[in-house]
Amino acid sequence: MTDLSLSSLITRFAALSRRARRIAMAAGIVIIGLFLMALFGSAGEPDPAGGPPMVRRITESQYRASIADIFAADIPVAARFEKPVRSDGLIAIGTGASGMSPFAVEQYDAAAQGIAAAVLSEKRRGEFLRCQPKHETTFDEKCARSFLTDKGRLLFRRPLTEAEAAKYVELARNVQGRLGSFYDGLELSLYTMLISPEFLFRIERIAPGDGDGTGTLDAFSKASRLSFFLTNSTPDAELLRAAEAGELEYGWGLRRQVNRLMVSDRFAGAVRAFFTDMLQFDRFADLSKDPAIYPAFNSDVATDAQEQTLRTIVEHLITEQGDYRELFTTRDTFLTRPLGVIYRTPVPTRGGWDAVTFDESANRAGIQSHVSFLALHSHPGRSSPTLRGYAVREIFLCQHVPDPPANVNFTAVELGAHTKMVTARDRLKRHATDASCAGCHKVMDPPGLTMEQYDGLGAFRTRENGAVINTAGSLDGVDFDTQDGLAKALRNHPETPRCVAERMYKAAVGRDIVWDERYYLDWLIAGFEDDGYRIPDLMRRIVLSENFFTVTRPSAQPAGRIAESGTRSGGRI
Amino acid sequence: MVHASVRRKGLVYAGCGAAVLVGAALAFTLVSPDRATARSGSFVRDGEAGFVVTHFAFALGPDAAKTGGCPTGMSKNVAEIFGETPAGQRRPGEGDEEYGQRVEAGGQSISASPDGKNFCMHPELAPFEPNTRILTSVNAPAEGIDLDNQVSRSEVDARRGLLDFTGVDGAEGVDNQFWRLVGCSRSFQENGPSNGFEVEMYTGSWGILIALRGVDDLKNDDHVDVGIHANADPIQLSPTRAALEYATYTMDQDKAFRAVTTGWIENGVLITKPVDVRFHNVVNGMHLERPLRDARIRASLSHSGVLKGILAGYTPVGDLYDFQFAYRNGKDASGAPSAMGRRLGSANGAARVLGHTCQGVYQSMNRLADGHPNPKTGKFTSISTQYRFEARPAFVIDGEAKNADDKAGLQ
Amino acid sequence: MSRISRRTVLRGAIGGAAIGVSIPLLDCFLDGNGQALAATGQRVPVRFGTWIWGCGFIPQKWIPTTTGREYLMPQDLAPLEAYREKLAIFSGFDVKLDGVANKPHITGCLGLRTGIPVPDENVKAPTLDVLIGQRMGGDTRFRSLELSTCGLQRSYSYHAAGSPNPSEVSPAALYRRIFGEGFQDPNSMNFEPDARIMARKSVLSAVTDDRHKLMRSVGVSDRQRLDEYFTSIRQIEQQLDLQLQPPAPVENFAMPAAPGQDGTGSAMGEVMQTHRVMAQLLAKALQCNQTKVFNVLFSDTTSNLRREGETTTHHTLTHEEPDDKGLGFQKECAWFATNSMIAWKEFLDEIDTIPEGDGTLLDNCLILAHSDCSIAKAHAVEGIPAMVAGNGGGAIRTGYHLAGNGDSIARLGLTVQQAMGVQVERWGKLSMETNRTITELMA
Repeated sequence: MTDLSLSSLITRFAALSRRARRIAMAAGIVIIGLFLMALFGSAGEPDPAGGPPMVRRITESQYRASIADIFAADIPVAARFEKPVRSDGLIAIGTGASGMSPFAVEQYDAAAQGIAAAVLSEKRRGEFLRCQPKHETTFDEKCARSFLTDKGRLLFRRPLTEAEAAKYVELARNVQGRLGSFYDGLELSLYTMLISPEFLFRIERIAPGDGDGTGTLDAFSKASRLSFFLTNSTPDAELLRAAEAGELEYGWGLRRQVNRLMVSDRFAGAVRAFFTDMLQFDRFADLSKDPAIYPAFNSDVATDAQEQTLRTIVEHLITEQGDYRELFTTRDTFLTRPLGVIYRTPVPTRGGWDAVTFDESANRAGIQSHVSFLALHSHPGRSSPTLRGYAVREIFLCQHVPDPPANVNFTAVELGAHTKMVTARDRLKRHATDASCAGCHKVMDPPGLTMEQYDGLGAFRTRENGAVINTAGSLDGVDFDTQDGLAKALRNHPETPRCVAERMYKAAVGRDIVWDERYYLDWLIAGFEDDGYRIPDLMRRIVLSENFFTVTRPSAQPAGRIAESGTRSGGRI
Repeated sequence: MVHASVRRKGLVYAGCGAAVLVGAALAFTLVSPDRATARSGSFVRDGEAGFVVTHFAFALGPDAAKTGGCPTGMSKNVAEIFGETPAGQRRPGEGDEEYGQRVEAGGQSISASPDGKNFCMHPELAPFEPNTRILTSVNAPAEGIDLDNQVSRSEVDARRGLLDFTGVDGAEGVDNQFWRLVGCSRSFQENGPSNGFEVEMYTGSWGILIALRGVDDLKNDDHVDVGIHANADPIQLSPTRAALEYATYTMDQDKAFRAVTTGWIENGVLITKPVDVRFHNVVNGMHLERPLRDARIRASLSHSGVLKGILAGYTPVGDLYDFQFAYRNGKDASGAPSAMGRRLGSANGAARVLGHTCQGVYQSMNRLADGHPNPKTGKFTSISTQYRFEARPAFVIDGEAKNADDKAGLQ
Repeated sequence: MSRISRRTVLRGAIGGAAIGVSIPLLDCFLDGNGQALAATGQRVPVRFGTWIWGCGFIPQKWIPTTTGREYLMPQDLAPLEAYREKLAIFSGFDVKLDGVANKPHITGCLGLRTGIPVPDENVKAPTLDVLIGQRMGGDTRFRSLELSTCGLQRSYSYHAAGSPNPSEVSPAALYRRIFGEGFQDPNSMNFEPDARIMARKSVLSAVTDDRHKLMRSVGVSDRQRLDEYFTSIRQIEQQLDLQLQPPAPVENFAMPAAPGQDGTGSAMGEVMQTHRVMAQLLAKALQCNQTKVFNVLFSDTTSNLRREGETTTHHTLTHEEPDDKGLGFQKECAWFATNSMIAWKEFLDEIDTIPEGDGTLLDNCLILAHSDCSIAKAHAVEGIPAMVAGNGGGAIRTGYHLAGNGDSIARLGLTVQQAMGVQVERWGKLSMETNRTITELMA
């Protein structure tokens, strides 16, 4: 049929029988539909922009999870992990910027020794070693190679190159020569892998291809990104197999792995890790409360408070597939007896968790009414509307509050020093009136002042120093004077879902967004809304989007890190 | 024809869809966790108020030194008694250590019957012990409340040794025969160790819960239901070892350690009707029981939930002798009798250190008993005992406490 | 006297099976002045450290009224009278902001330590203790030790932005890290090189072997971070190296007792106690050459210290407390400032207690004590108080008060680095940049 002009088509169409005409029309509609779908099919994802391939340090929880997954859950990890670096509100972004201090390497070294010793210990080596040398003092190259390439693949998240495999086998051979035992050789070779940068850092690599601006990550880097985002742990054997077989290049292969990871029990761990990061729970390590003022606080309470919020989040977002915004209004939560003392509510289960729903009159709606939020953002001996307001802005709304000015004029405070300042609102009055303070305090204090009904530990009160607490507050134009009002204002704030969507993506890739990714972010947020603000759907949308695996080639990168190379004494190493 | 089949198909699809929806709803409700409703508020909720006892000690009286109530001196232990006999005098040239050891051995020699039965375990076998002192003073006051609604201050009462006290707060007819029993014992004076048994409560060995129901008004309420139970959980403490308020406790699952009575609140004072109660006591790893018959409370109740006052009643003589002095019925954690060595050692050791003799206490106790007369013999079988206590708000739970970690629990 | 070194004696023993060898402390290892020589034949090493206290001072109680050697010791510095000759006091040296936003407490502290004012914690250069550590910290078990006595894990020692050196907060953990596994008692007469350590050292070289290949496959900024990693691996190799040699004997060294403490309190009494315990452990660690560089954070720059039973922290008081009408300054804040100086004196006591050679450990140290601001209320970075204690092994001169008259405080950082042997003749950036050494300080 060489003549495809419109008139000839119509003539030919008219010449068909009625049945054939119907079929032709149906086929035509299907073809047009497919065409339209292909055009807007990924529901309108903008052209992928991508960012640089990252080198990210693995976090403490990822380190522990990796060891547990690769070896066993009870292999001891005897290291003191240092305080993680937080960048732009997330430790996940900090992993892409932080270096490695000598203290950290010292600790990793100790941990690596312990892990290798436990794995190759006489009691347990049978679990991890599938072969045995003929005699302990003879070097069995095949056995060593199979063990080391097996574990190396899992530890480095990619197959070892031939050179690497040979190197580690040689190491094992040399050590056996020095120390005598085959297992000692394997142990120290394994130790070397555990302290290698290929294990401690997630080094992303670009798939070979034509060099223009953007490319995609290679299969194993994809597997890494997927796994750490969806399970907070290292890619398992099945995912590595799929990567090696090239299945991740195809939509069906990728979807299959994504589905598998999202129904695994590790998925909840990934969501927990994200919120632990976003809610800044690592700061609990530095938290201290005056025991005379808050006798109910101790380290068990601190641990339980975090667990309460995380359980609430997992139940609401994953089990119930709930709307993210409802996290700020939900009254369902979990309690233990130590927490029951602070919430002043009975907890029948001794030594464990009770699922409870707070009564409507109980003033406990939303995770912002949990002890984990209220106690963390307070002083050791009293509450703080400013700290809480600041946390609401920075953590929940991704709104940056500038630092206080260095040259604060304190004469106003001193003039009023003799007046009786009974409640926090009284003490902060100056902040609201003095021009140099009001700018930021007007942004921070109003939501925090409503939360003054929770004391510095999170217990509810209606009076402070005998005076009834005035709970009038506001959040960007919405006024309220009850905790429920604040909860609703947070839920309905347009930045609430935007903030978590943006954070989720940044945590997934480990960096701030690049300029060209703003359209992608808009698309993500629109999709989040379409999905009813369900977090698992947002995560699925991110990993299945084209932009997730897109990277820009190194030559297009600016030097990112702030440290002048000239001032380092470059001669060493 | 096409029309009907399409309609049938439509019905089938609708039916399937409905079934799926109903099934999902059912599954959802079944799968949803069973959630309790949590409330907040003051310590009285729906008329219920629970308390955990945070202070508990015998209500006694001012020291003998202040009142002059022991003119013939204080009770003596067996070593001191032996030391006063001719055989117990220091021999010329005898060194301190030698003499001390001999006096101890002598004391032990008068602690048992000739056939070796120790008097702490068998006090009924001992001869009359004249070195024990009791507080017979007429004028010395004591803490506590009137138990028998009688003011027994006559000559007859004094001769019988059943004299009521005048209260330290001026109340009349205070029945505190226990104070008469121990008032001339060194260890029960204010700085003595015998009244400090609340230490074990703070280490979680035992505890007491009070549960009120039907509280309509904290100042005046003519009817409240009152539960007085042993605590199945250790007391929850702050880092500075002060008791926490609003903790949750489960009451003892053994009904013998639970008691329910009624009472009323009058001008902010809770008064309850008598009921038999039973608590745990732990001494030196021996599990004992502390019963109190016809126990009643008279305590002030503050608006912040602090209950402070007196719990008083009659302790059966044999039980008092056992849980406070001789530990004859001490049991170990599994419920079997404690090793005899432990019981004997603790009883004799305590008597030695605290300055009394087991048989002396036993004899005095029987002499001072003032409650529950035996219907046949008329002899009193229990002794009036007053405790002062303080309790703070707590949540008291009944029923099988779900224990998430079976290894956890008491201690 | 023939030149016998312990290594010669042992050389025959190492290299195959490990044999335990006991040798007495031969007199030939001491030179005529009684100074113990390290096995490498070097003199007693010089140590460098910093000591930070937060929230500045009360000027009228701290700044001596006269300059030079014969100054009157002001009220808050009175406890340090005994150290007059070993102490140099610097007042009136500024961090120059040059338009950079002053992040309260941070800009002043990091500006002093890097020579560059920064508006947040992203330092633009390594701090001076890291630079000094790179020059002289290489041959000890630890490149540097960071301690914090106020329960917070931070230090103000940075390799680069995003790479702080975390502090030890618990005396017990500090003890275990220094004197626990891996510690070699320098005076134990039994030395056995561990074959396993030799094996570990040999495998570690495999880690650094692929360094070049790895560096080529990552971006520029990532290379610097990986560089830190490899530098840290070097420290491990160094530690193993040291463990394979018999340690240099140290006279007067006695193992300290393990402390029971946890050290997470913020009440002044607890912090002072934690500080004493950790200072003692640090002094001993310096004595037996576990490290030559240290950083102590007595109280955080936003000081979380408080009085027993009080809830308001020192930092909050600096903002909320009004000036006492009679005294003319904030009374409660002054209490904290005074106690900070007492703590500084106690620190020097611990260092000075250790006899070394003809004098004490303090003679072989250069300790820079400083705060993050002068007037905490205003977060003023002008006139940040600083002191240098010790003799630096003869490299510096002390015993005077020098007024800076508004000079850049980078002069102090520059001089201290030069005294410690760092090859630098200009330091700092923008208005802080200087090449003017403080000649009074250099010997």
